[in-house]
Amino acid sequence: MARRLAKVGARPAGTSTRIAARVRAKLALHRFPQTGVLPLGASLLCVGLVTAGLLLLDQPRALSLAPISYLIPVIIAATQWGIWPATLASIASTGAIDFFFTTPRYSFWIDDPQEVVDLLLFLTVALVSGNLASRLRRETETLRQREKEIAYLYEFSRLLAACFTISDLISAIQNYLSRTLGQQAVFFAATADGRFEPPEAGSVPSVVQESVGSVSATIGTPSHAIIDNSTQNIWLLRTVCSETAVHGLVAVNIGHGSHKVDAKTRRFEAMLEEVSLTLQRLDIEKAMEDARLHLQAQLLRDAFHGTLSHELCSPLAAIQGSASVLETMPLVRQDNRIRSLVEGMSDEVAQLEGFIKNLLSATRVIAGGVIPRLEWADPRDIVNAAVRGRVRRLAAHKVEIEFADDLPLINVDSGLIEESCGQLLENAAKYSPSGSTVSIDTRAEHGRVILSISDQGVGITPDEQQQLGRRSFRSQRHQATIPGSGLGFWIASTFVRANGGTIDISSRGQGQGTKASIALPAPRELTGFSQ
Amino acid sequence: MNKPSNVVLLIDDEPKIRRFLRAGFELHGFSVIEAESAADGLKAATFNAPDLIVLDLALPDLHGTEVLDRLRSWSNVPVIILSVVSGEDEKVRLLQSGADDYVVKPFGMAELLARSEAALRRYFKTATENPVVSAGPLSVDLVGRAVSLNKNQIRLTRKEYRLLHILATHVGLVVTHDQLLKEIWSGNQRDNIQYLRILVRKLRQKIETDPNHPRLLVTESGVGYRLQARLEDSSVG
Repeated sequence: MARRLAKVGARPAGTSTRIAARVRAKLALHRFPQTGVLPLGASLLCVGLVTAGLLLLDQPRALSLAPISYLIPVIIAATQWGIWPATLASIASTGAIDFFFTTPRYSFWIDDPQEVVDLLLFLTVALVSGNLASRLRRETETLRQREKEIAYLYEFSRLLAACFTISDLISAIQNYLSRTLGQQAVFFAATADGRFEPPEAGSVPSVVQESVGSVSATIGTPSHAIIDNSTQNIWLLRTVCSETAVHGLVAVNIGHGSHKVDAKTRRFEAMLEEVSLTLQRLDIEKAMEDARLHLQAQLLRDAFHGTLSHELCSPLAAIQGSASVLETMPLVRQDNRIRSLVEGMSDEVAQLEGFIKNLLSATRVIAGGVIPRLEWADPRDIVNAAVRGRVRRLAAHKVEIEFADDLPLINVDSGLIEESCGQLLENAAKYSPSGSTVSIDTRAEHGRVILSISDQGVGITPDEQQQLGRRSFRSQRHQATIPGSGLGFWIASTFVRANGGTIDISSRGQGQGTKASIALPAPRELTGFSQ
Repeated sequence: MNKPSNVVLLIDDEPKIRRFLRAGFELHGFSVIEAESAADGLKAATFNAPDLIVLDLALPDLHGTEVLDRLRSWSNVPVIILSVVSGEDEKVRLLQSGADDYVVKPFGMAELLARSEAALRRYFKTATENPVVSAGPLSVDLVGRAVSLNKNQIRLTRKEYRLLHILATHVGLVVTHDQLLKEIWSGNQRDNIQYLRILVRKLRQKIETDPNHPRLLVTESGVGYRLQARLEDSSVG
């Protein structure tokens, strides 16, 4: 983690210095007018007040007090308004001493050379102390500014600590920017195609708008500054990204005053640094959350399997077993009515068992647990087993099974393929009229073995064809008339895919029957077999 | 046809399952002892000397596999396992550690009876004089090494006969791939199940009426093969 922090920390700091330097260069010309007219006037007023006070005294005393007294407006100007008002106050004070208090009075002429020296000395002292005091003021101000920034950042990081999703984070950034930097900060979310959402018209100047449009949302896009020529405002643009993804872009108006530009750039960069750390934390948390969910799904699957197979299958086994004992009893065999009742019981149990098996298969698929246990198998065995497993379901149909002579062995999980095949047989029986034919044809073709199951039933419309394969899809046409969960085909296709095969469903249309084909890879036939 | 004295021990914690098993077995001339836990079962197996044990895998006090291991340490009594859905690996493991056969819940009584009879026949085989095993229209003379289908002699290759011989000595019972491979190809081809599949296909062409829909030599998916003792068995779900 320490290494990571260092890496993240290094990038924005470098960028920050570069941008600040560039901004300062652009602003060199605008430095002087930064000091307003008001501070200059105020410093002159202070000098005037001191002059008025001294004029109330007699000349020698006034002259002796003047150098000390005039330092007051200089220091005031320096600490309150900075270097330029202080310099102005120094010059004005020197002028005032010369004009009002040196002999001859009310003229700039000075008779006594000693007084000239005193006056020059005063000017020097005033200029130097003004300079020192103003510098002190600047330092204090910077310190206060830093303190404020740290407080802001602290508050922001507290805000970030409460973020649990990316959208929380984005709204925290927006809140923070609008509160601390004013309205002139805009967040653009990244879009799926690697660009940023176009800004709302009027929210940012057109130059910024164009720039946002041209930036692509990739990791490592550097920050850049844009000057809006109409207002001379500087806009900083920076992407917000974690290690894996770009989430958006922030555009901030940092104004045009040089000291403010520095401070705002710094604050902005520090904020984004915090943001990228938080994004990393969210990435890690998301990974942990995913892992936790995965584990829960597994536990759920195991619990579901355990409970279903025990709590549901045990009573079912008891019913099935009891029915099978009844079936063999002479008393039952002799009475047709009782026999048909017992057979009905067996049929219903078999159907219920099928549903439970489907649910178990579905949980297995959802929890990602279909790992085929590959073994060389004869496709004939698989098809025969599938037909045997659905013998009750197919009792009302004519079943035709055909195998090509040259069938190769296939390397599959025969249990899974048998189940897929059984599901397709079940569907064929379900969606075709009693007495019609269900035919199963198995052949080898272009290095694949294809098991096709055709019926003479309701067929499939092109619309339904598109939705096939979705879990729990059931056609509107049959929902009221034919019972089912919609899981069968989904399970079949998942199982077949897990074995590296494909399922294809075709129909000439409504009422024209359906043909479902499972295609499985058949690697080259074994050679070197000896009797 | 069953000896009335055959005693079957049912080890299962579900009273409902035991109830129908008792009814089913008694109806077919067995006398029945019940045990509802592994401990009770092991005790009953020691003191009552049953001829057959029907063992459920999911017992409250001990797993069925463990019960089987303990039984096999001192007894050869036939054991039929009641197992839950799927779990081919477990079935194979159980067969290798000495179970005679298994049925998967839910099952029909006819299926369990067929397995039980086959296991008993094999258990008492040493006492019988008849070396000819018949399975439907097929009969295999284990001593004379002669195979006939509907009374007509058929010729098998050495490996085909070896395969049929192993299955015939276990008639009605499942034999695992491993066991067949080991006994037919004792050498380096032991692990190659493809050879076994092809050999089975060839044998079926000689002994089955319709080799594409075998009714005598049936496949137990993921486990092994079984030579059916009677033809009607193959139509049972």
